[in-house]
Amino acid sequence: MDEKKSEVLQGTLDLMVLKTLYAMGPLHGFGIARRIEQLSEDVLQLNEGTVYTSLLRLQQQGWIKSAWGASENNRRARFYSITKQGQKQLERETQNWERFAGVVGRVLRLERQG
Amino acid sequence: MRPIRIFLSRIREFFSERRANREFDAELHEHLRLLAERFEQKGMSPKDAADAARRQFGNAALVQQRQREARTYLSPGELWRDARFGARMLRKHPGSTAGVVIALALGIGMNTCVFTFVNTLLLRPPAKVKSPGELRELWERSNHSSGLGGYLPLSYADYAYFRDHVRSFSGLMAFDGDSEAVLWNRSGQGDVVRAEFVSGNLFSVAGVDIPLGRAFTPQDDQPGNPRPLVILNNSFWRQRLAADPAIVGKTMMLNGIEFTVIGVAPPGFVGLVAPEVPDFWTPLSMVERTLHDPGRMSNRNSYWLLAEGRLAPGASTRSAEAEASVLAREIEATHPDTNKDLGAALFAVGPLPGPARGYVAAFTGLLMIVFGLVLVIACANAAGLMMVKGSGRAREMAIRSALGAGRGRLIRQMTVESLLLSLLAACAAIAFAAATSRALLRLVPSNMPLSIHVPVDLRVLVFTFAVALLTGIAFGALPALRGTRVDPVHVLKEELQAGGYRSSRMRNILITGQVTVCALLLFGSTLCVRSLLNANSINPGFETRNIATAQLDPGSLGYSDAKVKLFYRDLTARMRALPGVSSVSFVNHLPLDAAREDTGVIPFGSTQSKESALPVDVFRVAPEYFSTMGIPMLRGRDFTPEESDRNDDVIVINDTLAVKLWPGQDPIGQKVKVGDAKTASEVIGVVRTGKYRTLGEQPVPVLFRLTMPAQRVIVVRTLARPDAALDWIRRETQAVDRNMAATQLQTIADFMSFPLFPARATGLLLGAAGVLALVLTWIGLFGVISSSVAQRTREIGVRMAMGARRTDVLKLVIRQGMIVTAIGLAIGIGCGLAAARLLRALLYGIRPDDPATLAGVLVGLAAAAMLACYLPARRAMRVDPMAALRYE
Repeated sequence: MDEKKSEVLQGTLDLMVLKTLYAMGPLHGFGIARRIEQLSEDVLQLNEGTVYTSLLRLQQQGWIKSAWGASENNRRARFYSITKQGQKQLERETQNWERFAGVVGRVLRLERQG
Repeated sequence: MRPIRIFLSRIREFFSERRANREFDAELHEHLRLLAERFEQKGMSPKDAADAARRQFGNAALVQQRQREARTYLSPGELWRDARFGARMLRKHPGSTAGVVIALALGIGMNTCVFTFVNTLLLRPPAKVKSPGELRELWERSNHSSGLGGYLPLSYADYAYFRDHVRSFSGLMAFDGDSEAVLWNRSGQGDVVRAEFVSGNLFSVAGVDIPLGRAFTPQDDQPGNPRPLVILNNSFWRQRLAADPAIVGKTMMLNGIEFTVIGVAPPGFVGLVAPEVPDFWTPLSMVERTLHDPGRMSNRNSYWLLAEGRLAPGASTRSAEAEASVLAREIEATHPDTNKDLGAALFAVGPLPGPARGYVAAFTGLLMIVFGLVLVIACANAAGLMMVKGSGRAREMAIRSALGAGRGRLIRQMTVESLLLSLLAACAAIAFAAATSRALLRLVPSNMPLSIHVPVDLRVLVFTFAVALLTGIAFGALPALRGTRVDPVHVLKEELQAGGYRSSRMRNILITGQVTVCALLLFGSTLCVRSLLNANSINPGFETRNIATAQLDPGSLGYSDAKVKLFYRDLTARMRALPGVSSVSFVNHLPLDAAREDTGVIPFGSTQSKESALPVDVFRVAPEYFSTMGIPMLRGRDFTPEESDRNDDVIVINDTLAVKLWPGQDPIGQKVKVGDAKTASEVIGVVRTGKYRTLGEQPVPVLFRLTMPAQRVIVVRTLARPDAALDWIRRETQAVDRNMAATQLQTIADFMSFPLFPARATGLLLGAAGVLALVLTWIGLFGVISSSVAQRTREIGVRMAMGARRTDVLKLVIRQGMIVTAIGLAIGIGCGLAAARLLRALLYGIRPDDPATLAGVLVGLAAAAMLACYLPARRAMRVDPMAALRYE
C-alpha cells in the first residue's frame, strides 16, 4: 500500500466524519456512513469499515466521544458526538483544508503559457 | 498533550480489552445488518444483499484487527500468543536457547550474587525492629582524622549525656558493638556463648516485642545497681535450651555469675547490626562484673558503645545532627582532656555500622562494575547467537511479512522471544547466585565470629529481574531490528547472501567489542589478583605451620591471681609432658588479631616530655614465646622462667624499635621508660620485626614484656601436624580444672585465614570474573567464525576449485578471526592501561603497566582466539569443492 496516498485519504475521512458529527449531532457509525455516502454522490468509493478506524482515532485524540443509546428502530447502538476540542480541531482543519484546496485550485487554474 | 492522551487511552484500553472487542464486534455486525437490510429493500435476495453489504463494508476482519492494534499497545491476548509462539521457537532450537540462557545466567547470576552481599551488608534493615527508617546511628567524629578512623563509638559517660539531654530523639539506645565471649557453666561443663550488652531502653526504643517474658527497663540498667538479667536469642533458646517454655525465671551461670532469664526475644531478632549474632542480651551496667573489667562504665577513654536513636516526631536528620553537635561541644567544654575536638555525626541504620558502609559500598561497587562488564560480554554472546538464528529465520520473517505482518509486529515477536530467554536466564541466575554466595560464605574462616545469612529476598528478586529485563532488551534489540528488515521478494527467491554479509559485519563489530571488554577485564583482574598474591605472600614474621592455639581465661571464673598462676603452671607442665609437643608458651593476644595494646617509650634518663614518647605496640608474653612462634632472636636472650615469675622489668624489643631508639648502638642493656612507669625497663633481647596489625603495614616498633593478664592465648608448637594438639589442649584444660574451657581452638593456619580472608575472597571473585569473561568471549569468537565458515562454504569451494591450497583457506579463515581479535586486543589493552592508572593506589608490589601481565593477557587471549578460529578453519579446509558447488 502506498503510504502517502492513504495518509491524505485518512486525514480527509477524519475531517468529513468530524464535520458530519458537527452538522448532524450524535450519530452511530452506520448513520455517519450513510450521510457521507449521500453527500459524496457516488464520487467517493468508501469502504465503510474505515469509518470505524477513523472513529477510534478521533476518540483517542479526544475530539469525539461515544455513548450507548437506542437507534431509530430501538436497537442498541453506539452514538458518537463531537466534543468542544473536536469543534476547535474542526475549525483548524477546515481552514487548513481550504487553504490547501485554494492552492491546489489556483495551481490547476493555471493557463498554458506561450 | 496529544501523545499523552493517546498513551493514556491505550493504557486504559489494555485493561478493558475483552469487553471493548465484544462491543466493537456487535457494532460492526449491526452495521452490516443495516446495510444488508437496505439492499434487500432494493429488491435483492437476502444472500445477495449480505454479500453486497460485505463488499460495501470492505474487509471487516482487517478493520477489527486494526481496531485491536490501534486501541492498545500490546493486548494481553496477543502477548500470550507471542509468548507461546516464542516458547515453541526456543524449544525448536534447544542448542542456541541453552547457549544464550547459560551465558546470560552466568552473567546475571554473578551480578545477583554480588547484589545479595550488597543487600545483606548495606541495605537490609534490622529484622523485627519497628520502623527502622526512623532510627539513626550516633557517632563521635574527631575533627582531626579523616575516613573510617575519624569515627568513634561512644563511652558510657558520653552516651549517658546524649541520652539525658537530646530532644531530637524520642529515645537513644546503646549496645556493645562487638559481642563478647563468656563462659556458660552448665552442670560442671564450661561452654562458650556470646553476650551483647545493651542499654535498658533498647528493646522499647527499637520497638522489639518480647513474646515470652518481659523486656529490660531502664531500672534494670542502673550503673550503681546492675541486675544480672538476660534475654535469650530465640534460636539459642530453641537449640540449646530445647525451647523450654518455663525458662523465664530460671538462672544461668555465666562467667561465674548467676543470671536470671527474664525473656526470650522474638524469632528473627538478632540485634541491631549484622553480622555478629549474640546468644543473649544483658544490661550494659553488667559489663564490669561480667567481663572483670572495672572502670569500663566510668572510663571516658573507653569507646565501646554504638548508639542509635529514634527521631522524635518533627525532627529531621539535619536538626538532630545539629543538636547532637551542640551537645558534643557541651561535653567538650566540661571534659576537654578526653573530648577535645570531638563532634557528632548521624547515619541511617543499616546492617553494618555507618562509617564502614562507604568502604564496603566502594568495594562492592567495584565488583559490580567488573561483573557488569562480564554481563556485557554475555549480552554480546547472546546477541550474536540470536543473529545467527535470525539469519536462519529470514524465510519465516519474509513469509510473515508477505502475509501482512508489519515490521512492528515482527520486532515485537523477536523482543518477546529475547525477553523469554532473559527471564529463563534470570530464574537460573537466582539459583546460581544462591549457590555461589553459599560457597563464598564457606570461605569465611570458621573462627570469624560472624554468622552472615545472604537471603534471596524480594529486593534481590526485583534486582535480578530488572537486570534481566534490561539485558533482554539490550541483546534482543539489535537482532530484532536486523532480523526483521527483510525483503520478502529477495528472501523467498533464496537470495540470502546479501543479508548474510550485512549481519556478519555486525557480528564482527560485536565480537570486536567482546574481545575489547574481555582484554580490559582480564588485564584489570590479573593485576588485582597478582597484587593480592603479593600481599598474601608477605612473611608475617612468625611460623604459620605446626602451631596450635587456644584462648583461656581463668579470670572469668573469678579466680584469684595465685589460683590463675597455679592453673597456668599446671597446664604448661602437662602440655610439655606430651610426646608430640616441642614447646608451650603464652601471649596476651596473637599478632594480626583484632586486639591491640599500645603505649609510649622514652629512653631512660632522657629529658624528653611524655608527649614526645615513641608510640609502640605492646605484647605480653611468657618465656619461650619467640622459639614457639618461630620468631628469630637477633641479639640477646629470651625471658627466663624466674624473671617471668617475678614479673621483672625486662623487655624484648623488635629491631625496628632498636633502630629508632638507638641507631648504630647495641640496644642490649639499654634502659627505657615504658608508658607511665616510674622505673626503667632493661632491654635483654632483640627479635626480628614481623607484622602485627595488618599484613600490609609498614614496620611497627614493638616491645614484648612480662606481666600477663589472666586472659591468655596458649601457643603450642608440635612436632607434626598441629590438628591433634587442639584436642590435647581441650583435654588437658579440663584435666587441670573441670570448670575451665579452652575457646577458639585453632591451628595457626586457621588463624591466618582471618587476616587473609578479604584478599582471598576478592581474588576468587576477580579470578572468576576473568575466567568467565574469557570463556564467554571464546565461545563468542568460535560461534562467529564457525557460522561464517558455514556461510562461506560455497565461496571456499569455488576458491579451492580455482586452485587455492588448503593452507590458503586456513589463512583466509584465521585471518578473519585474528583481525577482529587484534583490533579488540589493542583497544582493550589501551583502555586497561588507562583504567589501571586509577587502580595504582590499590595495587601492592606491582606496577599498573606491569609488562608480564600485559604480555600474559596478550598472548593468552591471542592463543585462545587462535584456537577458536582454528577449529572451524580445519573444517573449512576439508570442504570438498565438488560437494560445495553441487550443493547450491
